Amino acid sequence: MKKFTRIAIANRGEVAVRIIKACEEMGIETVLLHSEADINSRAFRMATKTICIGPAPTAESYLNIQANINGALAGGAQAIHPGFGFLSENADFAEAVGKAGLTFIGPSPEAIRALGDKVHCKELAKQAGLPLVPGYQGENQDVEHLIQQAEQIGYPVIVKAAAGGGGRGMKLLKSSTDARELIESAQREGQSAFGSPKVFLEKYLDRAKHIEFQVFGDSTGNVQHFFDRECSVQRRHQKIIEEATSPSLTDELRRRMGEAACAIATLGKYKGAGTVEFLLQDGEFYLLEVNTRLQVEHPVTEEVLGVDLVKMQILTAQGDYVHDAKQIRVPRGHSIECRIYAENPFLGGVPSTGLLGHVEWPEGPGRRYEYGFDANDTITPFYDPMIAKVIVWDESRPRAIQKMIRVLKDSVVFGVHTNIPYLIEILSHKEFVMGTMTTRFIETYFGESLKEPTLTDIEKTVAAGALLQLRGGANGASTTSSSPWASYWRGI
Amino acid sequence: MEVKVRIDGVDHKAQAQLIQGTLWVHYNGRVFTQDVSTGRKSRKKGGAGGSSDQVMAPMPGKITKLLVTVGAAIEPGQAVLVMEAMKMEYTLKAEIAGTVDSINCAVGDQVALGKALVKIKPASDK
Repeated sequence: MKKFTRIAIANRGEVAVRIIKACEEMGIETVLLHSEADINSRAFRMATKTICIGPAPTAESYLNIQANINGALAGGAQAIHPGFGFLSENADFAEAVGKAGLTFIGPSPEAIRALGDKVHCKELAKQAGLPLVPGYQGENQDVEHLIQQAEQIGYPVIVKAAAGGGGRGMKLLKSSTDARELIESAQREGQSAFGSPKVFLEKYLDRAKHIEFQVFGDSTGNVQHFFDRECSVQRRHQKIIEEATSPSLTDELRRRMGEAACAIATLGKYKGAGTVEFLLQDGEFYLLEVNTRLQVEHPVTEEVLGVDLVKMQILTAQGDYVHDAKQIRVPRGHSIECRIYAENPFLGGVPSTGLLGHVEWPEGPGRRYEYGFDANDTITPFYDPMIAKVIVWDESRPRAIQKMIRVLKDSVVFGVHTNIPYLIEILSHKEFVMGTMTTRFIETYFGESLKEPTLTDIEKTVAAGALLQLRGGANGASTTSSSPWASYWRGI
Repeated sequence: MEVKVRIDGVDHKAQAQLIQGTLWVHYNGRVFTQDVSTGRKSRKKGGAGGSSDQVMAPMPGKITKLLVTVGAAIEPGQAVLVMEAMKMEYTLKAEIAGTVDSINCAVGDQVALGKALVKIKPASDK
């Protein structure tokens, strides 16, 4: 058994902070491997040690295998935690880490290859007899051939980067007219975001729910599941709201899907935290993919089960975690996570970058915030737009929804626009409240842009009064401000 | 900072901050902004697609693909270029019919928010 005294983190933003906190509690020092663009971030300030591994572009820093390993060695770490995204599902990275004499906190390179590469994973699932969505997972990546395969599967067809995740390198082909353009685009995004242009095709299920199971293989290779999450609220195949447990599963379905998740993870000799994703339509479930890493939405599982998946990952990598055979896990209450994206919901969700102003996350029972940036940090255009996650827990789903809406309303982010108004609309929508939403929920009800509400008279007056006070006019009543609102405000 | 604005004898509490010429206000569960130089609600230039005779960058990012050439006839909704920001690709489309008048960017360029990337000569001008 190993005992780590220092762990390197090959990631950034809120997940780097999450890992640092787990390490701090375990008495382990941290080395943050960061790019030049990320020196104004919480993780940079919190880590025991920081090492710059390259410039802002991901290919030259966060995706550079050798730079990360050199940084970890120079920082005196014994292990590397890859977080999610970037190199977290890269088997070559996991292998190189091992060859450098370091421990990769995650599954073995073989398990990543078997389960993480979506094409190999589907072959494994076939052997295990798991239901699969019809599709094409061949090696022939010629665009003409891929178009032909798409015709055979029958539109709508979805094209996905084989090494991908998080909605990148993923496009929906509705007909043959735009097939070429979209396949090429997916290949480029796969190359740019994950270092591989390989794609596969899948029949698009048009009223499916996204249900996933958290699995965990302990140090002895014993795989158990940690129940389910539902992530049907997706925009451009990117999850926005996740919850545990799913409001859509019967006990019988939950049992069968949990068994299927454990079966494929066991077949892949899985160790550590992983997620088996399914699509559920008309009471039938199909394996979607396996994510061989910690998931963005892992906190909702932690909240309903009272576990710490990051600590479990670290202990497992030390050879020090074994599932307690006597412990029966029962999910308690309901947890919801909202991803806060730096984007303008009134302009079709275009990224919003710049200097963060005042930031406030309202404290209270059953509220948890995972965030990577504080006031005066800069949100740069180089990386994923997710800047924070808001997680709530309450006794029931309706109460958790109610709490989340209030928490989002009380949260303050100045300096960059966020999707918070969009999240509040979604949480208030009848279909979400009923729990019947499918992966097409967003495109069906919300289109791309929210209509920007006009300011009420009271809001305008509050803004005018606030401006006068900010400019030093005390309560504003006696100033001669040039604000066009001043006369209006004085007239009240 | 926290501000209190008295209206009709009632104090309204809000958070407010001036950042680079924009007033940010959080009041009654909502964040809104005002461009304080004009007093109008601040609105970033560009938007999806941009103003009708030009295609503008709706965000800062990198040009990854040009799909048209100068002089080419285009239709409304036709994709003119692809840009990338935060690792996502965005296809920018023309809003009007016409011909491509000028292209003010090249593949690989890092462009700023609101930059006019492609100018279109409207079909009715011919």
